[in-house]
Parts: sequence; C-alpha cells; structure tokens
Amino acid sequence: MPGPGQPGDPQDPPPTAPAHDESPTAGSPPGAALRVDHLSKTFPGTRALIDVSFAVRPGEIHALVGGNGSGKSTLIKILAGVYHADPGGTITVGGTTLAADHTTPAKARALGLHFVHQNPAVFPALSVAENMVIGHGFNTTAAGSIRWRALRRQTQALLDRFEINVRPEALVNSLRPAERAMVAIARALQDQEGQHTGVLVLDEPTASLPRAEVVRLMGALNRFAAAGQTILFVSHRLDEVIDTAAEATVLRDGRLAGTLVGDEITEERLIEHIAGRTLDRMYPVMPAVESEEVALEAKALTGGPLRGVDFQLRRGEVLGVAGLLGSGRSELLKMIFGAYPIKSGTLLLGGKPVRFRDIGDAMAAGIAYVPEDRGGEAAFLDQSLADNVVASSISRYWRALRLRNRAIDHDARDIITRYFIRASSEKQVMGTLSGGNQQKVVLARWLSRGPRILLLDEPTQGVDVNARAEIYALISEAVGEGCSVLLVTSDFEELSRVADRAVVLSGGRVTAELRGAEIEPVRLTELAFSTQEVAS
Amino acid sequence: MTVVSDAAAEKGGATGHPPVPDTSDPVGRSRGREMLLEFTERYALVVLFIATLVFFSVWSKTSSTFLTSSNFKNVLGGEAYSGILALAIMIPLVCGEFDFSVGNSAGLTQVLCAGFMARLGMPVPLAILLPIGVGAFIGVSNGNTVARIGVNSLIVTLGISSVLLGIVQWYTNGQSISNNISPWLTNIATDQWFGLPVTVYLLAVAAIIVYYMLEHTPYGRYLYSIGSNRDAARLVGLRVERYVLTAFVLSGTLAGVAGILLVARSGGGNPQAGQIIDTLQALAAAYLGATAIKPGRFNVLGTMIAIYFLAFTVTGLSLAGVADWINSVFDGAALFVAVLVSTIIGRRRAGTS
Repeated sequence: MPGPGQPGDPQDPPPTAPAHDESPTAGSPPGAALRVDHLSKTFPGTRALIDVSFAVRPGEIHALVGGNGSGKSTLIKILAGVYHADPGGTITVGGTTLAADHTTPAKARALGLHFVHQNPAVFPALSVAENMVIGHGFNTTAAGSIRWRALRRQTQALLDRFEINVRPEALVNSLRPAERAMVAIARALQDQEGQHTGVLVLDEPTASLPRAEVVRLMGALNRFAAAGQTILFVSHRLDEVIDTAAEATVLRDGRLAGTLVGDEITEERLIEHIAGRTLDRMYPVMPAVESEEVALEAKALTGGPLRGVDFQLRRGEVLGVAGLLGSGRSELLKMIFGAYPIKSGTLLLGGKPVRFRDIGDAMAAGIAYVPEDRGGEAAFLDQSLADNVVASSISRYWRALRLRNRAIDHDARDIITRYFIRASSEKQVMGTLSGGNQQKVVLARWLSRGPRILLLDEPTQGVDVNARAEIYALISEAVGEGCSVLLVTSDFEELSRVADRAVVLSGGRVTAELRGAEIEPVRLTELAFSTQEVAS
Repeated sequence: MTVVSDAAAEKGGATGHPPVPDTSDPVGRSRGREMLLEFTERYALVVLFIATLVFFSVWSKTSSTFLTSSNFKNVLGGEAYSGILALAIMIPLVCGEFDFSVGNSAGLTQVLCAGFMARLGMPVPLAILLPIGVGAFIGVSNGNTVARIGVNSLIVTLGISSVLLGIVQWYTNGQSISNNISPWLTNIATDQWFGLPVTVYLLAVAAIIVYYMLEHTPYGRYLYSIGSNRDAARLVGLRVERYVLTAFVLSGTLAGVAGILLVARSGGGNPQAGQIIDTLQALAAAYLGATAIKPGRFNVLGTMIAIYFLAFTVTGLSLAGVADWINSVFDGAALFVAVLVSTIIGRRRAGTS
C-alpha cells in the first residue's frame, strides 16, 4: 500500500516529490479518517485519474489542490458515488473499505461522507429552517401540516451547534454568502447528532465568495476541525489552503503530484506541485511603461454603485483595480465598454471626451472587454471554437456577399497556435474545452482585434496555473504593442505581480493609488477592507 | 446538475496540460468511434427517410400507388406550404425564440389574399403583396413585444395566434372565399416546370435564400450567437433586440408567403386552413431537422429533409389505408422525439448533459 507521498507513476515523477514518509498510522485502517487507494478513472479517450492514493487524518483539514483538469473534481465525484472508478481502487472511511468501482451516493452517505458541492443547493427563497429539512422530509402532524415550532427549535439547535449566527426563519437569500455556505455545511452534517464522525467534503466552497466571506467561512471550518471534524476541501485559492490546511494533496494531470504537510504548505511549494514549475515563471515580466500619454481617463464617473471615480490609464500600462465584490469594479468596466449606463462624469479616450451609445461604439473606439462570468457572458458553449473566436469580428469576413468561412477557419487555426489553445481542431465545441482554454479563446477573440484598451474582469478566475501563466504572457505581449489594460482581480498576489499601478475602489470611489513596490497583497487587502468598513 | 460538464472540462483539461502547445487531437484512440458516432448522428434522418421510401415502395399494401411519379409530384409540390412554414418558424428558433403564430398568420394571409381578389377585385400583385405585408406586420408586432419589452415569446405568439384565428372567422363569417381567384395564382399549384410542380421550385428558392442568410451572412451568425448565449452576444457588440425583431419579421413574412401558396393550392381562402396544427408540424420539422446534417443546430437542409420525411411517411400511411388520426399521432410523436433527440445532442455538444 503506497503512502500518500508516493508518486503516482514512475514515468512522471514530480520534480520535487516531498521526501515525506507517511506516519505509520496511514498504513493501519483506524489511523486515517478517509483513505483512497489506487484510484483510477478512465473516460473515453482520456485518463482523468491515474493510480491516486492518499489519506486524510481524523480531525484535520485536508486540502485537495490541482489545476483545472488535474482530476480533483473527478476524484470528488467518485467519492460521492456519482462516478464509478476503474476496478482496483478502494475507498476506506473509518475502517470500512469500499470498492471504488461500485460506489453509489447512498453508499457514500452510509460510509459517513458528507458533501457540500460547489454551488450548494440551497433554496434562496426559502427560510434557513426549510432549507435544513427540505431533503429530509418535513415533520408533519397527523393532519399533514408542518410542525413549524419543532422545526424552528431543531434548526436553532443546529445553528447553535455550528455557531452560525442567523435566525431559523431568515430567508437564505438575505444571508451573507459565507453564511449560506455554512448553512449548507450544517445541513450536510445535521445527521451527525454532535458526533464528529465521518468526513465533510467541500468542493470549492469559496469559489464564489468574496475575500471577506472566505475568511469567515475558513474560520468556521477551523472551529469544526478543532471540535474533531475531519474535512477534505477542494480549492483553487492557494492562500486559504496555506492558512487553513494541515495537509495538502496535490494532483496534476490525474496523478498524485505530492502531499505537503504543515510548514511545507507554502505558495512556492504548492505552485511547483500544481504547475510542475516555479513561481517566478508564472508571471511574465510586463514591459515597463515608457509612455506618459494618457490612453483613458475617467473624471467623476458616476452610476450604479460608483460615486465619482477618477483615474488615468497610460498607454502600455496595466492598471489594477482592487476592490471587493460589490465595490463597483465590474460596473466600472461595463461603463467604459458602453454596457452600463453612466449617470454623470466624463470618459476621455486619448484626451477626447467620448460618450458611447452602445457596445458597438466602444468596440469601434478600440475597447475590448473580457467579462467575469465566462459561461454566462462570454462563451458560446454550444458553438465551435472558430465561431467563438470570430464572434466579435464576423463582419470582417463578409466580402462580396459571402461569409468567408474558409478564412474564418484558417484564422481560427492560427489563433489556436498563437494563443496556446489546446483543442483538437477549430471545429471543437467550446463547451468541451477546459476552463483555461475557454478563457484563452475569449481573450483571443478580443486580442485579435488589436484593442487600444483591454478591460479584464477576473481573467484568471477558475483557470489553472499553467493557463494563468499563458494568459498573462498574452496580455504582456499586447501591452508591449501599446495596449493599455484595466485589470480587475480578487487575487491580490496576482495583482501585485502584474500591475504597474493599482487603484483601490471602495464605497464607489477610488480611495487609494499604489505604484511599483507599494502594490503588495497585504497592503491591498488592508486598503480594500478597511475603507469598506469605513464606508458601510 | 452540472455533473458531466465538469467531466467534459476535466477531459479537455487533463489532456491539455503538456507544457508545450499541443494542437494535435487530444482524444486519440476513440477518434474512430467518435467519427462514426458523428456520421450516424448527421445522416440518421436521411437513412431513415430513404428506408421509409423503400419500405412503402415494396410493401404490398402501398407498392402499387406509392412509387409513382404522380404520387411523388403530389407530395413534393404539396409540401411547399409546410416547407415554407417550417422555414418561417425556424428563423426565430435559431435565435432562441418561438413563433407559434406562423400557422395562423398563414391562415389570415390566405383569406385576405382570397378576399382582396374576390371582394375588392384587387389586382393580383397587390392581392398577394398586401397580405404578405400583413404577415410581416404581425412579425413586427410579435418581435417588438418579445425583443423590446421582453415578454416570453411562446406566450405572446400563442396569444396572437388565437387573435388571428378570431379575425379569420370574423373576416370570412366561417365561409370559404373561392370566387374570382386569379387563375394565374391557382396555376402555380398545378403547373409543372421540367416535370416538377412549380411550387417545388418556389420552396427551393425560399430554402436557398434562408440557407444563404443563416449560413453565409453575418446576420445568420449573429442569430445563432444570440440563440447560443444572449448576454455574450450583447457583449460582443450585437444589437440583440434588433436581430430578434428582424427574425420575427422574417418569420411573419415567410408565413405570409406560405398563406399565398395555400390560396394557390386550395383555389381560395378557407377559414379552416392555416391553424395551430400547421405550426406544430412546422415545429416538428424544424426540431427534427436540428437532429440531422448539423446536429444540435437548426439548419435548413435538415428541416427540408424532415418536412419530406414527415410528408412521405404520412402519405404512405394513408395510401395503406391507415385511419386519419394516425397522422396527427405521427406528427406529434415526431415532434416529441425530435425535441428529445435534439436536446440530448445539443447538451452533449455543449458538454452540459
């Protein structure tokens, strides 16, 4: 039985496989709360998991980390019994071993695995109490009416146990995002009746949470773990893994890349394992800003949550916008793109005031916009890669009363190569590409137009580290050609490495401006949060 | 649930990880199977169509009547109306909207066309163009309500079709209008060019125009983009409302043309013709068409194959002496199966099933 640190495949030893010898407890069933042995999963044409083994110690927070397509979602789905693994693998929970090719959701539940999925299935329009029982059946009187009082009492007890400070009758859509996630966790664990048996499995619980909410949720997880709850959580956010996890298992390309314990969990080590390369190579060196020419200027821009925003964006500059969710950062980009009404204030493009009637005007002026919500606002998932790439410039291919489909395909093939897109051909359907490749397609759609101003809203969200490096390489190239970038990102580490200058957006205004070495994650976090407190 | 969508992402991603850009086929060994599957998907309807033709040609009950040139000409020519109606309903479908009023629009334009000739003695070109204009106007009205105000297109057009039905009854008093119909118009349904009914050519022209528009102009691409993801379409600079509106106008116009063909075929305006059942048949053809040729995507060629598949099957069945109610069951079942299959194909393509 391999220890958790053993590389999955002799052909692909991780460059820095930790010389971590698992404690003897991993070998004996009672030692590990959850143990996975020799798990493999083959999809038609692809091996999503290759001989993965690791163990989760009881009462600890264990992180499962990896890029998109590394196999972590597949692994979680096998645990949940949604997928059947290839024959040969086993799942052991608290001494009971299950063949991984015969799992079902019912068996997973019986083993004591409790799942909270990425978008927890909470019902926003129902109360917390109703959410607690909805999957379990309501406790009713003989006449069939719901015993509301008993329900409220039980829910209150549950909320107290998990230290969630909300009322049972509160509607879920009135809760803060972190509280919603906690409600989902409490719901998953409610059957335990106070005993911390089994394993709580969280699939990217923080993916859609703003930073402040992540801190709250992680605090709650720490409390649960301190009380003896074993937690396995999947995450994209390295900072929360570093802060919270006692142990981290990293997957890469379906194989175990390594397990890090305690102090070994650092950003550098994690990235090495996730990407198979070091941090310095993750972010390109952005070309220095030489021009003093102002490409875009906002003066007292007002509308929606924005209350008079001023900034200047120089030619060939990357200007970071740091702000919390709801700070108006996304609205700011949409305003510049003509996709959100401007109430007052001026926008100057190359020194001249502009007023875009619609998005077409903004595009004609050389502005490009990559929205935050890729699936909802950028990707045509059921269309081909070629269709997606040319979506913003189809009219260019309309010549002599004919759409030059062959030219479109030709250009799309060029773009696949130039923008590092992994696809079988330009005909591949967008929805079958990985998140990182989809994002590169969206980026290519705009960069291939040669924009003067590039507006990026969370361009690396849900994108693995390799794709992130490539995305920044592409942006860096565009900047080198004189494109100016306005970059919104919640990842302040990323911001500090990429931006020439950063403005902090809070309470609908720019509250600080940082440049060069001042742009530093801790400082950005402080500024973004502190002013938020002052403003609210 | 998005259970398999992640799997699709994983599949693409897991193979997309080698550090050197690798644009070669990531699927590898299942490539052959995939191509076979794609081929089957594309041509299943064509094969089914041919099998149906062969079946009715050799089946003892129908072999003497089915495989005759007059039967083929009848079906080919007679389906021009349904074919154009299917094209009409297809255009809004491409951009994700329903136009359930096409059948009743055709019903109104046919009684107007007949009425204009019979009661007002209007010159033929005017008696044809004016009702088509009315069809276009119905499209403008539908399109404005749907695109600008944002009302659900299914409800709007269902409501409108009931209104149109009422207007037809009011205009005709429930009586057919069949005097003074221009022989030029009725000859269209009976004349032949090169051995084929003229209406076949009319349908072919309409189909080619719509095909060209959808596949070879930016306009068509825009409609498909809007149908795929409206918000994303807006954010690549498309004036979504305008395109949705024009889709309804085109749909209404084509429905008007279909109504004129109805006059040519029946020699007058019949208050019983041009009903919601025609809309449903057009819908069945469009959805069935979306399972063929370009699976998961509404397309003209597929729709045309579907129209004739339905028509020949229904004809074969009635030649075999099957009771009339079978037709309506068949059309309904075809719609049901078509929607089912095209939804499954579409989901799989988008990796969201």
